[in-house]
Amino acid sequence: MGIELIYQKWSGKINEVTIGSESKAVKIGGQNSLPFLFKEGGLPNRPRIAFEIWDVPPQDWPDELRRPYGGVLEDVIKWAERCQEEYKAEIICVRLLGAHPDLGNKPSAEEARLVELLLQKVAVPLIILGCGDDQKDNELMPVCCQAARGKRCLVGSAVQDNYRTLTAAVLADGHNIIAESPIDINIAKQLNILISDMGLAQDRIVINPTVGALGYGLEYAYSIMERARLAALSGDKMLAMPFICFVGQESWRAKEAKALETEFPQWGPQRERGIIWEAATAVAFLQSGADILVMRHPESVNCVRDYINVNYQDVDS
Amino acid sequence: MEKCKVIFYPEGKSVQIEKGKTILAAAISANIYINSSCGGEGVCGRCKVILKKGEVISQPSGRLTLEQRKQGYYLACQALVQSDLEVLIPPESRLDLDKLTQEEIDLRLKGLYAKAEEVDSVKSLEEGVFAHSPLATKLYLELPAPNHVDRISDLERLYRQIRKMNDIPVMQTGLVNIRRLGRLLRDSDWKVTVTLGKRNGTTEIVLIEPGDTSDKNFGFCFDIGTTTISTQLVDLNTKRILGTRATYNKQASYGSDIITRIICARQQDCLEKLHHAVIDSMNEMIQALIRDNNIDLNDVNCILCAGNTTMVHLLLRVDPTYIRREPYVPTANFVPTIRAAEAGIKINPRGLLFCLPGVSSYVGGDISAGVLSCGMYKEEEICMLIDIGTNGEIVLGNREFLISAAASAGPAFEGSGLSCGARAARGAIQKVTIDPKDFEVKYDVIRGGKAHGICGSGYIDIISCMLKTSLITKEGKFHQIKSNRLRQGDFGPEFIIAFRDEAETGSDIFITEGDIENIKRAKAAIFAAAAMLVKQMSLEFSDIKKVFIAGGFGTYIDVDNAVNIGLLPDIKRDRFIFVGNSSLAGARQVLLSHEAMKKIEEIARRITYLELSIEPSYMDEYMAAMFFPHTDSSRFVNVDI
Repeated sequence: MGIELIYQKWSGKINEVTIGSESKAVKIGGQNSLPFLFKEGGLPNRPRIAFEIWDVPPQDWPDELRRPYGGVLEDVIKWAERCQEEYKAEIICVRLLGAHPDLGNKPSAEEARLVELLLQKVAVPLIILGCGDDQKDNELMPVCCQAARGKRCLVGSAVQDNYRTLTAAVLADGHNIIAESPIDINIAKQLNILISDMGLAQDRIVINPTVGALGYGLEYAYSIMERARLAALSGDKMLAMPFICFVGQESWRAKEAKALETEFPQWGPQRERGIIWEAATAVAFLQSGADILVMRHPESVNCVRDYINVNYQDVDS
Repeated sequence: MEKCKVIFYPEGKSVQIEKGKTILAAAISANIYINSSCGGEGVCGRCKVILKKGEVISQPSGRLTLEQRKQGYYLACQALVQSDLEVLIPPESRLDLDKLTQEEIDLRLKGLYAKAEEVDSVKSLEEGVFAHSPLATKLYLELPAPNHVDRISDLERLYRQIRKMNDIPVMQTGLVNIRRLGRLLRDSDWKVTVTLGKRNGTTEIVLIEPGDTSDKNFGFCFDIGTTTISTQLVDLNTKRILGTRATYNKQASYGSDIITRIICARQQDCLEKLHHAVIDSMNEMIQALIRDNNIDLNDVNCILCAGNTTMVHLLLRVDPTYIRREPYVPTANFVPTIRAAEAGIKINPRGLLFCLPGVSSYVGGDISAGVLSCGMYKEEEICMLIDIGTNGEIVLGNREFLISAAASAGPAFEGSGLSCGARAARGAIQKVTIDPKDFEVKYDVIRGGKAHGICGSGYIDIISCMLKTSLITKEGKFHQIKSNRLRQGDFGPEFIIAFRDEAETGSDIFITEGDIENIKRAKAAIFAAAAMLVKQMSLEFSDIKKVFIAGGFGTYIDVDNAVNIGLLPDIKRDRFIFVGNSSLAGARQVLLSHEAMKKIEEIARRITYLELSIEPSYMDEYMAAMFFPHTDSSRFVNVDI
């Protein structure tokens, strides 16, 4: 006698968000099931991986992470091209850190020109992140949004204490927004309400729940994402947004990714550690519902991409 | 030690004080009370005084603007006396110790916005339910004189006579009374009046007086709140209320919330001072009421007190330290009956003092009294009692179960810790409306005249209106609008409710984002506590058929606005019932009925206490409530903001 499996059916559905324009546009979200549970509902869009690039050469990246970008870290356009051509990036995420008052304070107009240039050279959709200084971002992001007008980028990050300027800019120039909350399901939802109240459509919002790397609070972030996703699938529209997880930035901060082999010989070769750390963290967040993973190392990206493909092979065939 | 003379104006009172003490300490010694919400920490900025002459040393404080500093303003708690001083206390720093007027007391007891009949119906619900058997009873006795046949002792003779009139198997009498008895009976020709007191399950002959004084039997019931103390003088024979008084708790000088006061009590002599502050307030009120009613202090035979656990500890001068230490256990919830004189209360020296039994460290006898007086303990349907004060206490239940929780809401709803906050007393702004077109503000001032601040219900109205008119976002931040009322202040944007020419203080009365945040926290704490109780019992708010709103503040609240900001749950508005000061009402019932005393002891034992600080999901509920009206808008579908 066969055992009949019980499938969970959900009343809610995650919003489908389109990033980018024309043929290279990428759709995320749209599912009405938990990750990889194909029999329980529709999973029309697979999780996507974005490559993170900076407009200034990163100073604190470990050698292993710099190696795949040898010769292009100084030039963000070339860096983007390498991600797209060599590493087959589906999305590129540019962080305009050089605009930060402490890190060069590049004028907003210069950054806007850079965004324009990137959009010319790169065909895949673009995620544009500010420098992290509220005051500067409020000046910088509107001009960058304007420079990318009509390209339906994903722009971030709106936070509870500073979301209005960015929301207005995104609304004016037809982009999507990243709503960032500090590992707090209530604040995540409140921010979504506040942004929606300003008139931005709910299918233009992507949640950055803030995550921690393996060993650095991953479980906590995981459970917050899981709770939010369960609420959304149960019908809470104000949490029915796809997730973006900044896995690269968290993983490469971990001691396990950075420590030298001479310090911890028992930890194994440094060359592999960071890659494993980033891939393991990413795979964990795929289970909790990540829709976009922002990653750094091409080898960990390959690893995670394989993982996604293996899991989707039944769908593909 | 060098002494300095400090003169306070406008009173002109002066006091000698050691050099180096604070102006606040000098004011307290001079019996002048200055607002001091933070208990002298220098953070609340409510004890501003103006130095007219003399020298002080003071830490700089962000609570004083540059302009104020130029005018000679100091924080009384931070300014150390260095020479003889002349100090002016501005009206906004004054803790108005004048008795509240009868009008204000009526407002507090009845509820300003509530329809009178609603309150009456609630009161009559319990009034007369318990048989009239006051905690102190007087009996006039004409004893047969002893002779050779009837030779039982004087005391047994007294007992025998009492038992002829009452079925009291066990009686006790203090040695003092026995020593006096032989002479007293003979001198009074065997005609005496005995006062019987119910004391811890037995009956005591409290007092024996010559002749017939049985028509003079009075008692006081007290509600000892963190902010306000209310009392009623009751004729125990006729149940008539002869007078009502309310005054501010003088302990306010030592901090506006109980935690600050418990911390303060640890300091040298401070427990003593806190104890005296409360009994002074009580004795003053007793004096005033007996004077007004031409009553002899000796005819006041018992006092009954309802108060939160900390207030009862301080009244009895019991160290409250362990109330705030894990696992939050008080010294006593059920306090035995004592003589009022032992606590320093001046009534008949033999008179008794009863304290109503509490449930836990943060749910006290005032709440047991509230449950008694609203009658929820015997309701078939599920009810909730919300007592909104410095602490928000909530009880959920019916005749089958009762569960309680306490939320530290903070003093925001009582107007403390806010830029222009005021207690709900004369001069406070309330009943506010804002025009959606031009943002013009209309308001009432309690007892008329110019305004000097905004009280808790005023803040509820303001925030509700600001949400409805889109002046602020659902998280409580100002939108950028064009209005001469919205301006940039020292601490971010602020909205002016009353311009300086309408204000008693001569400065604008306004609300800041920080104030909104404070109110948001307070309402979130209360709502989250209520939600936790409901969840704990696997109920929904909609299952609750009656919500009793109590507290000195609770009487002024506008229900729609309170639901709009998410303080009260979104259920049918006719389920909210104002009970005013339910603690005082319950205390009066107990004073008049031994049966009610038994009932309240049963209630206090029945109430389960849910300690929210150890409930992991409380924080989550609280964060979800930190939004207007709530993060989960499906819980507030009938709110249009």
